[in-house]
Amino acid sequence: MATFGVGSRLGYVDTNPDRSAGLVAAVAAGIPWAVICGGAASELLGFGTVLAIVAGLLTGCLVSAATAFSREDIGSTVPLGALSIVTGLVFLTSVLGPEWVWSLGWEQPASLTAEFVIPIGTLLNAMFAGWAASKAYGGFGARGRHVGAYVLVYLNALSIVAFLFVLVAFTVVRGVPGLLNGAEFGLGVGPATTIELAGFGFTFVWPFSVPFVMNGVALLNDFQGVLPAIVGTIWLVVGAVLFAVPLGIGAAIFLTEYAEQGPFTQAVEIATNGLWSTPSIVFGLFGFAFLIPRFGNSKSLLAGMLTLGFMLLPLVLITSREAMISVPDEYRDASAALGVSKWQTIRSVVLPAALPGVVTGVILGVGRIAGETAPILLTMAGGTFVPGSQTADVIGGFGFVASPPFVTNPELLQATSALPYQLFALITAGVGLGDNVANPDEFRWATALVLLVVVLSFYAVGIATRYYFRRKLSYE
Amino acid sequence: MSEIESTQTQTHQSTASQPSQTTNGESDEQLREAWTDHAFDGDTKLAVDGLDVHYGDDHALKDVSMEIPERSVTALIGPSGCGKSTFLRCLNRMNDRIPSARVDGSVRLDGSELYQEGVDLVELRKRVGMVFQSPNPFPKSIRDNISYGPRKHGDIDTGLIARMIGRSDERQERQLVEQSLRQAALWDEVRDRLDDNALGLSGGQQQRLCIARALATDPEVLLMDEPASALDPIATSKIEELIHELSREYTVVIVTHNMQQAERISDQTAVFLTGGKLVEYGDTEQIFDDPRSQRVDDYISGKFG
Repeated sequence: MATFGVGSRLGYVDTNPDRSAGLVAAVAAGIPWAVICGGAASELLGFGTVLAIVAGLLTGCLVSAATAFSREDIGSTVPLGALSIVTGLVFLTSVLGPEWVWSLGWEQPASLTAEFVIPIGTLLNAMFAGWAASKAYGGFGARGRHVGAYVLVYLNALSIVAFLFVLVAFTVVRGVPGLLNGAEFGLGVGPATTIELAGFGFTFVWPFSVPFVMNGVALLNDFQGVLPAIVGTIWLVVGAVLFAVPLGIGAAIFLTEYAEQGPFTQAVEIATNGLWSTPSIVFGLFGFAFLIPRFGNSKSLLAGMLTLGFMLLPLVLITSREAMISVPDEYRDASAALGVSKWQTIRSVVLPAALPGVVTGVILGVGRIAGETAPILLTMAGGTFVPGSQTADVIGGFGFVASPPFVTNPELLQATSALPYQLFALITAGVGLGDNVANPDEFRWATALVLLVVVLSFYAVGIATRYYFRRKLSYE
Repeated sequence: MSEIESTQTQTHQSTASQPSQTTNGESDEQLREAWTDHAFDGDTKLAVDGLDVHYGDDHALKDVSMEIPERSVTALIGPSGCGKSTFLRCLNRMNDRIPSARVDGSVRLDGSELYQEGVDLVELRKRVGMVFQSPNPFPKSIRDNISYGPRKHGDIDTGLIARMIGRSDERQERQLVEQSLRQAALWDEVRDRLDDNALGLSGGQQQRLCIARALATDPEVLLMDEPASALDPIATSKIEELIHELSREYTVVIVTHNMQQAERISDQTAVFLTGGKLVEYGDTEQIFDDPRSQRVDDYISGKFG
């Protein structure tokens, strides 16, 4: 690459360079050189901290100046090319070998190990080299810079996908053994389910058995599982959404369609944004101090639902409001000109057009609340391990009584567990795992995997809903 | 207000120029009174008297009085910002939707005052339909666009409960959709895809759909705010034919920038000029061939505006 730059300068390669590589390239080339030379000065030449920093800065400035004041084809290739060469040599010749540790010498023990430095250094180098190479590929000048910027931006986008992929893959690889612990597939191995239909009970047997997601924790279980936490998480999200979505949409309708824009709506807006940025542990404390004494003074599923509902509310409000504001006024005018009342217009034109945006907000909000630990810890969670008998049966729990409030549901008022809390408890409990769970590490990772799957399932449901509503609105 | 009260008692048959009681005998104003007095055969559908509109401090429409005959096409022409659209929007009280707008004066539909307490806006806008400058169909199916108004008014009901008790008006709905689309000369183009989204239609088709949608509520007056300004010549000529057809049954008031269009389609023309004043109103032929005002003559011949 550096050769290409030199070749271009000497006229062997036909390019179209500018007078200078520019300030950005100068700074970008200067910083790594400053770091390397500073490091080299302190480690290899035994300079003191101050001297090393000075030496590093000096080299950095020199490289910057060289980049900025030479012609672009030299400036944008040679310093970065040389950087790659030097780093490669350093790693290959084991000047920084696998055993290398740089103790920072601070009061707290802090050090940079080769395990960390070498991959990061390689990645950064690759990025710099890719940038310079793509500039050279574009023949420098405006086109070269365009190609360079494109490569950088493309790498950014790619790295997001890569991060997600690495995260999911890591969790899956670690979690699958625990998840499949004791799992059996084949006809007749699963639990039997009986469906009552018109007086006849149809029983069928699931063709698989995965104890980790089908069992709770009990002393006599062959394999332990997290079923109560899964069910708890699902009910928690369902309850929070049922509570927050109607309230949030209602408030958004009032604020966009009815309230006159003024100090009041602004105050509501600021309060909403503030509420959204409130730390979740504060919501948890609120639930603990305000809700729990009102629900029989014990942690309960209902208290958890409401607390998470409060957390979800501001985001639903904000996104619904944005979605309604972006519904074109022409629709409202057209509807009014047909003699349709305001409320009917909102219901049959504005809301359907705003729904995809509302659903997006709910998706984002669910993603946040489904993984919340702190509020659950304070408002809802029982013990570290929840026996399978404590799985919340919310639908079956409804009962009707003759006196107010007419509907009771003891299941809602019981403490239960949820996956994020379960995971937190498993990690912090440390001791006591051995008796119940054969391999605590496997158990934790499997819990994390199940949590990830549950949250992504909610996400998938949301995306599907949004797709459905979008399809209805568009003509393609 | 004395002027409004006095002019309200006039009949549309007044032909001679009448000195105004409030304009201090200014000759311009007197002339304007004369120029805007238009005698026509037939009944008055809409009578506007001393209409003033303010948007905040902006005086958008000044003392406009005119009478619009039934079953005819009335064109409103004038340069941008002269108040044509504002005037149009006063005729079905759409200006009520603009918070800063203030309307003074009188508009009567079949003799009953629109600007008074207790007027049912829903009922009014059913009787006075409107088509906007840019096509604005709802993001729903073609069928739902047409039946939207009648459904919301409760004239037809195809809801779940109605279907369950066997009182669904699906047949009426089908008839209404077909009839409205035929009236708007769109039926043959969309008969096979009534359940497709209306946004998939072309601009001209969308505008005709909007006209069909307005017709579906069975209005008496149809207000059109530059309905063809966003369309190509072929779509425009279709809309113009359609307007001509509609004037047999409906009273059409149309705002247009295009003077040739006004000349082609309208029975009478009102010219608004800058400052929100109605300068001349009369038979279209007379306005275009022999305008009484020099300014209107200049405007029509392209010297001004």
